[in-house]
Amino acid sequence: MSYSRFEAMKLLGARLADELVILSLGGAVDEWYNAAPHMRDASLFQQQLGCVTPEAFGLAVGLPHRRIVSLDTDGGLLFNLGILATLGNERPENLFIVVWDNEQYQSIGGPATHTAKGRVDLAAIARGAGVDQAYTAATLEEFDAHCAAGLAATEPYIVVAKTDGILEPGIKRKHSDGREDKYIFVRHVEATEGVSIMGPSEHN
Amino acid sequence: MRADAVDAVIRGLKRAGVSVATYLPDSLLKELYPALDADPDIRTIPVTNEGEGAAIAGGVFLSGKRAVLVMENSGLRAATEHLARMGLGAGIPVVMIMSYRGEMGENNWWAIPHGITMEPLLQALRTPYTIVRDVDQLETAIVRAYDTAYASYYHAAIVLGGDLVR
Repeated sequence: MSYSRFEAMKLLGARLADELVILSLGGAVDEWYNAAPHMRDASLFQQQLGCVTPEAFGLAVGLPHRRIVSLDTDGGLLFNLGILATLGNERPENLFIVVWDNEQYQSIGGPATHTAKGRVDLAAIARGAGVDQAYTAATLEEFDAHCAAGLAATEPYIVVAKTDGILEPGIKRKHSDGREDKYIFVRHVEATEGVSIMGPSEHN
Repeated sequence: MRADAVDAVIRGLKRAGVSVATYLPDSLLKELYPALDADPDIRTIPVTNEGEGAAIAGGVFLSGKRAVLVMENSGLRAATEHLARMGLGAGIPVVMIMSYRGEMGENNWWAIPHGITMEPLLQALRTPYTIVRDVDQLETAIVRAYDTAYASYYHAAIVLGGDLVR
């Protein structure tokens, strides 16, 4: 049983306001851009297989008072399963991780990932790595309930969303590249945290 | 690793404003890791591979805090994918401190590839680096690496060689 990632994103987006989001990859970028337009400046759109959840964890370490959301993918998480063991040990209190598991490398046309045969269970891997709160959401209703719980959790919380792999038709493509996206995101963090991250150069 | 070099690294990191260190431990820097763990001003995060450590450090950058990735130079190979994506793709910097395995005089056959690949990889990643063999230059070299990384918004590296680590 699977469901629309775009519909799941709209449910998650409706729960977000002050959070910071790091996400990847491919079609999920354009879908998130449209599903949660109020979160565009608060979202770092990346094209980085294996980097997303580690980057989100680093952000959570640096901003322990703020809720961080990682929107990872089956292919992205499988690329670096080690981060689960690191999270199991470090146990950040402010990190909620969604894994969009459509069982395919969608951005290159849909070849199967290792979850496609039904034997690889990412939530079970996460629990085995010490992330006790790791679940698979088989329906939109389950996904929404896990979003509520994960956004309120005081330990790392992972929900694997079994989505259908159908890209939302007719949505607007995001035009900016990774460098512009970083500046937009950093300026948002600076404004909302009252800090300087990419400050002016010295004159000397 | 010499005790005075351990102290100089920690002084340099503090002068540069670093509060988070990710690492995958190695033998040449083995005295540095527990010293970082014991320092109350630095949060250490042991990782499973250096690419993961680089990505965590990149995330720390986005928060406004400063991080370092500490590793053997072989870790550069494991981290190259992540460093290329973050650095070349988005301009998210990672400052690295690495041991110089495979330097002239290396007596382990398995470490020879680390010496062969380190500088070409740093150059392929367009990462400026300083090889430090004099303890008196170590603290300042680290501070300068951060100055460069935060002016270029790109990676920078310090390589610890010579009798600092032997």
